[in-house]
Amino acid sequence: MFYVTYLRRELRRRMRQAIFIALGLALGVGLVVTVNAASAGVKKAQAAVLSSLYGVGTDVTVTGSSPGPPKTGRPPKNAQTFQVGPGGAQICSNGKCHSAAGQTVDNLGSQYNAINASEVAAVARLHGVSAAAGGLTLTDNQITLPKNFGQPGGSLPQPKGFNVDGVDIAHASLGPLSAGTIKSGHSFTAAEANSDVAVVDSGYAKANSLKVGSTITIDKTRFKVIGIVTQPQGGSPPDVYIPLERAQALGTGPGGSLKGKVNTIYVSAASAADIPAVQQEIKKLLPGDTVTTASSLASQVTGSLSSTAKLANDLGKWLSVLVLIAAFAVASLLTISAVSRRVREFGTLKALGWRSRRIVAQVLGESVTLGIIGGAVGVGLGFAGAALITRIAPKLSAIYATATGQRVETAGPGGSQSFTPTASHTVSVPLHATVTVGVIVLAVVLAVAGGLLAGTFGSWRIGRLRPAAALARVE
Amino acid sequence: MYKLTGVSKLYQKGRRTVPAVRDLDLVIPGGEWLAVQGRTGHGKTTLLQLLGGLDRPTSGSVEFDGQDLARLPETQVTRVRADSFGFIFQTFNLVPTLSAAENVEAALIPLGTGRAERHRRVAAALESVGLGDRARHLPGELSGGQQQRVAIARALVKEPKVLLADEPTGNLDEATRDEIIALLEKLWRDLGLTLVLVTHDSSLACRAQRVGVMSKGRLTIRQEARRAPGGESPAEPG
Repeated sequence: MFYVTYLRRELRRRMRQAIFIALGLALGVGLVVTVNAASAGVKKAQAAVLSSLYGVGTDVTVTGSSPGPPKTGRPPKNAQTFQVGPGGAQICSNGKCHSAAGQTVDNLGSQYNAINASEVAAVARLHGVSAAAGGLTLTDNQITLPKNFGQPGGSLPQPKGFNVDGVDIAHASLGPLSAGTIKSGHSFTAAEANSDVAVVDSGYAKANSLKVGSTITIDKTRFKVIGIVTQPQGGSPPDVYIPLERAQALGTGPGGSLKGKVNTIYVSAASAADIPAVQQEIKKLLPGDTVTTASSLASQVTGSLSSTAKLANDLGKWLSVLVLIAAFAVASLLTISAVSRRVREFGTLKALGWRSRRIVAQVLGESVTLGIIGGAVGVGLGFAGAALITRIAPKLSAIYATATGQRVETAGPGGSQSFTPTASHTVSVPLHATVTVGVIVLAVVLAVAGGLLAGTFGSWRIGRLRPAAALARVE
Repeated sequence: MYKLTGVSKLYQKGRRTVPAVRDLDLVIPGGEWLAVQGRTGHGKTTLLQLLGGLDRPTSGSVEFDGQDLARLPETQVTRVRADSFGFIFQTFNLVPTLSAAENVEAALIPLGTGRAERHRRVAAALESVGLGDRARHLPGELSGGQQQRVAIARALVKEPKVLLADEPTGNLDEATRDEIIALLEKLWRDLGLTLVLVTHDSSLACRAQRVGVMSKGRLTIRQEARRAPGGESPAEPG
């Protein structure tokens, strides 16, 4: 009780200095909390983007290799090509051509080279793999060619397309659909593995006025909508999910038909520790394909989400470390100065029989109290900072490249040329800076550490000073 | 009570060694009032600090009740200070943030006295110096004389064997000085304390049983014991 009374009175006596020290520590701690909250928010946003891309339970994703530059020569079987020549534009398939003018072309294509479905089972057998599921990530493109296409002024319009995901119904816990919640209708059943049924993303359904029971045309085939799914906020989910077998039957890849093929394998590792080993094993098994883990995928996402993550991790971290060091230094100097003015007081207490460690404990108690006050105010400042960031931060964008899957070939006097229209896909993610319990604990530990540091610097000399020397000190 | 043998205390000032106390032999029996006079800088305060265990001699021994304070570990010297010595300083040395009662209470903290007992003894000590009604006042709210009374109460509250006073009236006006002298004398007489008092004030020193004079670090006893506690005060020298 006497200890607390003495401590309280002393802090009240040097109120201004105490407030200054506590505010300094609060500023440092507040910055640490804010930066950590922002960093946690960015990580959460990244997780939202990644989980919607590849599903919640997926640790490793294998995608078929990117097709090389288009080869001139025979196009793959069943592939449609546009040929623009002096006679106007023509659509050709399997060597047969007809006029393209006014025609609508609907094509379900893959931007990746295919992987044999048998590889899925091979991956599933690897050590450290708990499950593997194949999928087809496709794009349905529809282009209505103008009647004067191929003539002067008749340019190729931008294709209208939507993303289609072929879902392995036997492994529904993996892949993009696993992250979603069915809002209405139902998800695929085993009996629907070979049916023309689709589950539609809620955003796409709203934009296109689709509901359960509606029909949607994919590669000239009508699919019945059986469910509407909502994906976590911030992601860029596929627009339409159909059974894998139907996607294999309808889709075409750079190498032709996709029957018995997949272009994506979703892999779940037995434990987080197994992920790097699993990644290496798959790379050995499928050397030409791209093996991605959530962390490596995060590094591929660009845009302000990525910049903010870098900012929070690098600049924010160093800024808060610098402010903390400055706050600790100021607190220590001010405590040393305050203690120096009280040397005679401590000498008197020693003369009364107070042991050095009791006096050191008194000084440490004062400093730690300031640290705790600074920590509490700092946590408050941190919450305010996090709320401010959530309120004023613009939505973060995550950008990654997608391809339309359409191959366009032009033939002219200078020879034939072909290209695949590509587009970058941007996802807007709201930043919710989140203060976690761990960060609060860290803040309190930092503040108390700051107080202890300042108190230790302030009191170590006092502890060693002989009472006579302390009493002789002229204030 | 005290037996000092061959005590010297040297200070290092730059390259010079300055002797504050030189080859001092002294015996102070229990219950004696010894006054120490001398010019500033001749070792009076150093002698008091050696007697109070606030400093250690460079050589010699300072025996107190059979224990050599020069050789006891610091924790034990601290314990002796807490149990047996009461200090009174010229500048009062009260903790400015603590009330009169809390300043007095501070002397009981190292003894581990319980809270209720502390409060009882503090109230009694303040009452004995006539400040029972000033317990809650801060030092800054008290006059110089009242502050010195608080310091005396702080020195006496633990019922020490020895009271060591360094110029206790040095910062007081004449009327207050007389009050403090009368109070110290009464306490010495009533409590049977050993009182070692350093002072420039001859009117105060001549009330002691023995008066010694410090000069260049050496102590010379000028006035031998003239009265016992409770005896009549001698007439002041003309």
